[in-house]
Amino acid sequence: MEQLFFIIFAGIALIGAVNLLLRRNPLYAALSLLTTMAALTGLYIMLKAYFIAVIQVMIYAGAIVVLFLFVIMLFNIRVVERQTDRRGYLKWLALPFAIILIGQFVYIARLFEGNPTPVGTEVGLTEMVGRKLFTAYLLPFEVTSILILAAIIGAVVLAQKE
Amino acid sequence: MGMERLGINYSAVLPEIIMALTGVALMLMEAFWPSRSKRRAGLVALTGLGIALIATLRLWGTPRQTAYAGMIIIDDFRLLFTAIVIIASVLAVFLSWNFLEEERIQPTAYFALLLFCAVGMALLTSSHDLIMVFLGIETVTISTYVLAGYRRDDLRSTEAALKYFILGAFSSAFLLYGIALVYGATRTTNLSAIQTVLNQPLNDAERALMMVGAAMLLIGFGFKVTAVPFHVWTPDVYEGAPTPVTAFLSVGPKAAGFAAFLRVSSLVFGADFDLASAGRALQSDWISAVAVMAILTMTFGNLIAITQTNIKRMLAYSSIAHAGYVLMGIVARDWQAVAFYMIAYTVMNIGAFAVVALIARRGDERVLIEDYSGLGFRQPTLSFPLTVFLISLTGIPGTAGFVGKFWLFKSAWEAGFSMLVIIAVINTVISAYYYLYVVIVMFFREAKREIEPVPLPGAFGFTLAVTVLGTFYLGLLPTRVFSYLNQAQTAIAHLIH
Repeated sequence: MEQLFFIIFAGIALIGAVNLLLRRNPLYAALSLLTTMAALTGLYIMLKAYFIAVIQVMIYAGAIVVLFLFVIMLFNIRVVERQTDRRGYLKWLALPFAIILIGQFVYIARLFEGNPTPVGTEVGLTEMVGRKLFTAYLLPFEVTSILILAAIIGAVVLAQKE
Repeated sequence: MGMERLGINYSAVLPEIIMALTGVALMLMEAFWPSRSKRRAGLVALTGLGIALIATLRLWGTPRQTAYAGMIIIDDFRLLFTAIVIIASVLAVFLSWNFLEEERIQPTAYFALLLFCAVGMALLTSSHDLIMVFLGIETVTISTYVLAGYRRDDLRSTEAALKYFILGAFSSAFLLYGIALVYGATRTTNLSAIQTVLNQPLNDAERALMMVGAAMLLIGFGFKVTAVPFHVWTPDVYEGAPTPVTAFLSVGPKAAGFAAFLRVSSLVFGADFDLASAGRALQSDWISAVAVMAILTMTFGNLIAITQTNIKRMLAYSSIAHAGYVLMGIVARDWQAVAFYMIAYTVMNIGAFAVVALIARRGDERVLIEDYSGLGFRQPTLSFPLTVFLISLTGIPGTAGFVGKFWLFKSAWEAGFSMLVIIAVINTVISAYYYLYVVIVMFFREAKREIEPVPLPGAFGFTLAVTVLGTFYLGLLPTRVFSYLNQAQTAIAHLIH
């Protein structure tokens, strides 16, 4: 049963990733990225990493892909396409990069022999993250609020009309 | 869970709390009591910074301790660098006084961003955990991205902000990735805990992670302290940003960045380890990498500075060269020398930029070195202070720059890096050319066109007086500061000796 769900989610993620590469229209590419992200969420839930699953939906599917879509809509797509064509020679870099990545993957895969030991069941829970956030990471949590406040003020300053 | 276990200690972060509240108060003031008067906002900002400085100095002498579950550390190192960054912020407020009026900028948001940046800098100097290092750096850089782009109708300023933002975000990613890898190898982000882990042997995978993590952290810090080859953003940003902001960028965030770099370097990667430990191998690699970076930074910065015709760009490359000298202090692991150099550099560089800001005038129109011709005897109130600062930046005896450089060179020599010192001395000689060239242009060249004299506003007069006195005080009577620094007991001195 678990294997079946794994195959379904992993398949959707792979199809989304391949589709992302094949689409010429960046809008469709961004939407297939969204599909991949959503499928990965399913994999995280199967690994009982519930917190990461929720974050995956909120940050990647929610914030980042939406940001991509906004950028694509605000830019003039045709201009972007013409510029990418001129740098055609860059595509020859794809092969060495792919070889490096595959090499890394093989190296890492060989480091882990046998089945990895599962971590405790409570590790992926939101409760544990919250507990840490308000005890050991209390000061960083508070400092983040200053950071975000500075970012908001900065955005308003740069965007406001004279 | 008790307060003790959380390590809550309000007095330990009192300077940061005061500055953050002042920043918030400035924003609320704008909402409830709107006015475009720069005086009121400026006074509020100065008061907040002043109280924060008092809070910092009151902590002086407290025993070394960590707070907030090891997130921050209170020691003389932190207090000294916090004082430096607060003083840099105070001087930046004075420098911005006229800029805000001339450009008709709403002062509250500007000063609020400056204060939030000061909060980030103060946290950077106190961080004892890689998470805090990252958050401190982000708070500083996000505020300074906006400050650099404050002149929105000027293409140069906008370009500076955009370049700074893109490269800054890129380097932050390196830093964060490095932190993640170090965490993966050691299962902690606390600096002392990482040191404990590194004092034991690690397995192959952990060693590899640690190595890559250390390299990424070095890249991240290199960007923030403008070390070559991660300096490319510096000249464009320093040239394009409004001059008061450039002055602030070149001292405040840089001093804070060096404080964090020094803390991480001396507590983790450059610390003394047992012979068979994992840290031992890492330490020698780290120190040699930083030493090579120091050589590249000072040589490249000085050589390119010679060719510059724009004084802001020239000072940007000079700032890169000075970062190279400071890196020597990190190699030699002498934090007192670095602290003294940062004090000296803050005083003389803010002073130099104050004169540049005054002469540049509205919209940064006159920033070429040839614009300074004939200035010498016509405007002695500007040319004499600038001469003092340039002489001090060169490192001629009698000025703060000489004492700072001498101390750095001495500690690097004693630590056994004689090659590094020789290269640094050669670089000092090279730098004399472009610093003194400006002096020659000012005093011995006729003005190309008639220029009306630049008025000297009160805030600038005050800044110039303070920085000139500071340059001479640190250069002629440094013993008092020396004895303070030597008394200072810190985690770093404790670990090395």
